[in-house]
Amino acid sequence: MNAQAMWLNPWISGFSFAESVPQWLLTACGLVLIYCLVIVPSGAVMGYLERKLSADFQARVGPNRAGPAGVLQPVADLLKLLQKQASRDWNWREAIWLLVHTMALYSTVAVIPLGSLLLLVDTDMSAFLPFWSALVLALGTMFLGLSQGSVPGWFGGIRVAAQALAGAFPALIALLCAGIRAGGFRWSEIAAAQSSSPLLWTAAANPFQFIAFFVFVISGLVLLGIPPMDAAFSAPDIHGGVSSHLSGRKLTVFRLGRFYGFLLWSVIAVVLFLGGWELPFGLSTELRNADSPRLLQIFELCWLLSKTFLLVLVVTWIAKVNPRSRVDQVTDFAWRVLSPFSLVALIGASLVAGWGAL
Amino acid sequence: MGGVVTGGPAMMRGSVFSTILGYLRDVLWGIRSVWGSCLTAIPYLFGSGELSKEVTEQYPDPISSKIADDLPPRSRGFLVNDIERCTGCKECERQCPVQCICVEAEPATDDTKIWVSVFDIDFSKCVFCGICAEVCQPASLKHTKNFEGAVYELPELVASFGRGWVTPEQRLKWAKLRQQIEDDRVIL
Amino acid sequence: MIESLKTDLTQWEIGPYDHSLPGPMLLRLRLDGELIVAGEVETGFLHRGLEKALERQLWRSAIPYADRLDPEGALFGELALCLAVEEIAALAVPPRAQSIRVILSELTRISAHMGYIVRVARAVGSETMVHYVLRDREKILDLFELATGARVSLNFLRFGGVQADVTEGFIERVLEICELLRIRLKEYNDLFTYNHAFIKRTRGIGTIAPELARAFGVTGPNARASGISFDVRKEHPYSGYDFLDFEVPVGRRESQHLGDANHRFLLRLQEISTSVEILKQSAEAITSGPFALRKPEESFEVPRGEAYIRIESSRGLLGCHLVSDGGAYPERIQFRPPSLALLSVLPQLVRGIRIEDLPVVLATLDIGVAEADR
Repeated sequence: MNAQAMWLNPWISGFSFAESVPQWLLTACGLVLIYCLVIVPSGAVMGYLERKLSADFQARVGPNRAGPAGVLQPVADLLKLLQKQASRDWNWREAIWLLVHTMALYSTVAVIPLGSLLLLVDTDMSAFLPFWSALVLALGTMFLGLSQGSVPGWFGGIRVAAQALAGAFPALIALLCAGIRAGGFRWSEIAAAQSSSPLLWTAAANPFQFIAFFVFVISGLVLLGIPPMDAAFSAPDIHGGVSSHLSGRKLTVFRLGRFYGFLLWSVIAVVLFLGGWELPFGLSTELRNADSPRLLQIFELCWLLSKTFLLVLVVTWIAKVNPRSRVDQVTDFAWRVLSPFSLVALIGASLVAGWGAL
Repeated sequence: MGGVVTGGPAMMRGSVFSTILGYLRDVLWGIRSVWGSCLTAIPYLFGSGELSKEVTEQYPDPISSKIADDLPPRSRGFLVNDIERCTGCKECERQCPVQCICVEAEPATDDTKIWVSVFDIDFSKCVFCGICAEVCQPASLKHTKNFEGAVYELPELVASFGRGWVTPEQRLKWAKLRQQIEDDRVIL
Repeated sequence: MIESLKTDLTQWEIGPYDHSLPGPMLLRLRLDGELIVAGEVETGFLHRGLEKALERQLWRSAIPYADRLDPEGALFGELALCLAVEEIAALAVPPRAQSIRVILSELTRISAHMGYIVRVARAVGSETMVHYVLRDREKILDLFELATGARVSLNFLRFGGVQADVTEGFIERVLEICELLRIRLKEYNDLFTYNHAFIKRTRGIGTIAPELARAFGVTGPNARASGISFDVRKEHPYSGYDFLDFEVPVGRRESQHLGDANHRFLLRLQEISTSVEILKQSAEAITSGPFALRKPEESFEVPRGEAYIRIESSRGLLGCHLVSDGGAYPERIQFRPPSLALLSVLPQLVRGIRIEDLPVVLATLDIGVAEADR
């Protein structure tokens, strides 16, 4: 775990007091910093993007009063939610949900790949941890739903469980496809297998990887309950399901988790299949040779986030334009369409990889 | 999104090959219809032509909100009564479907002059149907196009157009004027 | 020996105020997992005593009340009342007024069907369709404001004609709207009607069999979607409909799942096209002439008599039974709303569908709680 504080080094190298600070303190500060800089703003940015993008598709204007072009709208929403009077105190089930929820989100913070130098945990199982966190998130949400004494909560909880199981299997198989091509599941290995040119991205390598990319993104929607696969959180029939009884701070935590999950899945998809943070035209190697790690970190992060933004745009586009599917249709789709396609992609990708090794 | 041929795996119509073909056709249909729906949204994302521009009316920003002058001439907004022309015939009070108009009138010096002491329209009850303006003979009661009449207190919603209750001094003056007219007539 | 798992049916009450209901009503459901096993409907939450209030109004002042029988199709209430009075008092309506009435009726039908599309799209979760259709419905409401002065509760028909002549440029605007609707209908079909997620959500759901429709008295687009070819505009023509040339869309008997939610939706889309046709014919054939044959006097008295009028509102057959005792006030008005039959048939329709299909069934039926409760 000596890579923990490495990303911090270029930023604190100038300050003499930082030399004497023990390693664990630096690590802890780094984690808290990433949490504050990643999870909360990601929720805010995703919320703003969703509202503005859906307004663009629907011939509306969207938020434009809070700040220029409405960029402070998430701040206004957050303040409004936080100042609401709690309808009742936290009971022990909700406390457990909060614990599980935070653990799941936090565990991904350590693993989220935001650049070649911004990796905290880069082990052989790095790529799998976000996937397991999504399952744990689903578990927590299901627990929250089943603990509410009302029909919307029960249905929401059961649907979350069903969707999570249905979406997990093809997601995992598609993940394996990406790792097969890279030869491992370390972030650095996967990034190295795709250099800067789009033609060498994983998704463009061969048709099976292309199928795997689509299956990965769509099964992520099913797994996390993102529209148009959000039958577990649908408003018309079950009033939002699990969140039907939440308000104020609990709702903030819940929504932040959903937005962050969406962002996380998009970032993982970009890193696995769309070239990750490798800058075009070989800029990465140039900056590395020029020994300017701060610039490298910033550029890689921006490149990664812009590709993520495009993916989020496409998914939001499809979500707003298409009707929501019924929950049994979603799970049908996951088991009967996504899973066979993912298996076909896996077999094909393995054959191609094996052929190349011959 | 997507799905398989209706009828579960127990219903194998024909050969395995045709089932797989049907399955792939279904998947293709799903992809095609999703793509077709997405295509219709493209002009809204990129273009700004007449058919795909934003239609939000950003009230009260003058950038794109309607003011009373923009409305068609017949728009039924808040009512106003020109008390100079009003004859106090109470037809509007009689015809109003919700009885929101209250009129009190009495003759002043002579029968040609009517003093409308009370003419109250309670806009918390008014449904803006326009019947009162339609039946007004002297055409003193009219709909304006004004639609911004929100107030902070409910009693403020009552609009008073009347001249006020007749004071005892006025009554004396009228009696004197009436006497004078009588005297003039007798003299003539 | 494996013991079977003991499960119980879940009781759930939806309403009286709920996102998925068309208006205030109470639905008591018994659920087996996600399947609805039984449902009971309780209504009356929107009862306003409309028919009783009408007994205390002068004849002309009763027209705004008739507007509010079904706020989504305000003109149909007015038309029913005016036709009933005109039958009792033997008033003739000039042809120009009849054309104006037909134009406004068909515009109301189109705007009511657009509201229907909005509710169905919201029930299946397609927010984009909602906003596109609402935007176009605004144009029709602006047209109403141009002609009558109000967007929804028009108060425009009078006994023996209409309140005033249409303004300059109204007919041109009507033809422009027809052209715009032709373009927009194509856009709606591209976006929503043939989307497979929508078709999967509505095919085979909430099917009304023709026998069921006949038994419960379901009329209008819901009955026509089940294959029953009955339209009051053709069977008992009124207000000049017999001089117009139009085809009433009916569900084809050979199609699978006749009378399901998808058919009901498609039929209303076709009805919008039919209404556009009627609009074009009426707008182009409108004659000049008086807009009313009598000047409305203040004390209008309808002679003694009784009349029952049927018109085709956007939801079905709207009936108005009017009894007059020769005075300045109606003695009794009773409306026969088309949504009452739908509320009666609702418990049969919700049996066997999933809880997620319930908003879809409710939305595709086009129940008007305001007119059912009066």
